[in-house]
Amino acid sequence: MPLQNAIGDALNNAEWAFALAECVHIGGLAVGVGTIALLDFRMLNLGLRRETAGQILRYTELWTIIALLFVMFSGVALFLSQTDVYRVNLIFPLKMYALAAALIYNFTIHRKVATMENPPPVLSKLVASVSLLLWISVVFGGIFTGFLV
Amino acid sequence: MPTAHAIQSIDFLTAFSESVLAYPIVLSIHLTCIALFGGMILATDLRLLGLTFKSLTITEVITSLRPWKRVGGTIMIAMGLPLAASKAETYAPNPFFWTKMIILGLIGVHALIFRSIVYNKTEELDQSPVIPTKAKVAASLSLVLWTSMFVMGRLIAYWD
Repeated sequence: MPLQNAIGDALNNAEWAFALAECVHIGGLAVGVGTIALLDFRMLNLGLRRETAGQILRYTELWTIIALLFVMFSGVALFLSQTDVYRVNLIFPLKMYALAAALIYNFTIHRKVATMENPPPVLSKLVASVSLLLWISVVFGGIFTGFLV
Repeated sequence: MPTAHAIQSIDFLTAFSESVLAYPIVLSIHLTCIALFGGMILATDLRLLGLTFKSLTITEVITSLRPWKRVGGTIMIAMGLPLAASKAETYAPNPFFWTKMIILGLIGVHALIFRSIVYNKTEELDQSPVIPTKAKVAASLSLVLWTSMFVMGRLIAYWD
């Protein structure tokens, strides 16, 4: 069975821990950013429109936070596994700035506007667009960290 | 493998896999779609399992997310094709890649089986006092299939 051999090789190789951490990191990112995007879509008046943004936030917030914690813990593990590589990487610090901005924004301005009773539609749409752009820039930063060494 | 070599030797695919910017940009878009589209699949499955979004009916969740899932899925596949084709020679013998393709096929089978009895019968599901087992089975299998597909996608890079 080629798949069995491949999994065996991966597990015997010390790389398996890195692969696992990467799966948790990217899987967590998909859930974390995916749930934030559900709210952003609502604020853009797309997707789950039959419910208020505040209610969508209440439904998704715990999933977002737990997923982002998984992303951060696995991210720290990935960083510690090859600090030399990341320390000289030109893109990595940019990703960290984007991440810091996305996190702070998410739990301050974004949350505030999502829970407002009747926010002006323009404000909601602007805040949701910035949120999507910030998180997408974090994803791009992550991929480019791996490619432009 | 001559076929694989021929595919990745197509001029624009060779240029694509050797480019400094195009390849990671397409990969980033592929990954962004996983996040955006994955969140919608998760929302649908969790609603079918009765775990969240309970103030929305199953019909509302499924019908309002359906067009976006289609957009996301189309972009994801459109980005995935050149990613795989430009590296056809390394992908052709890669068991993780073929397992991912088999899971993709199984996701198609899942859709064929459950579309007529779950996804196109949402009003019936909403009228039922408890969420029918078939809906929960469909949602659970969907979560397992998509998670496996994601993991296999990541592991492609770990085979040599």
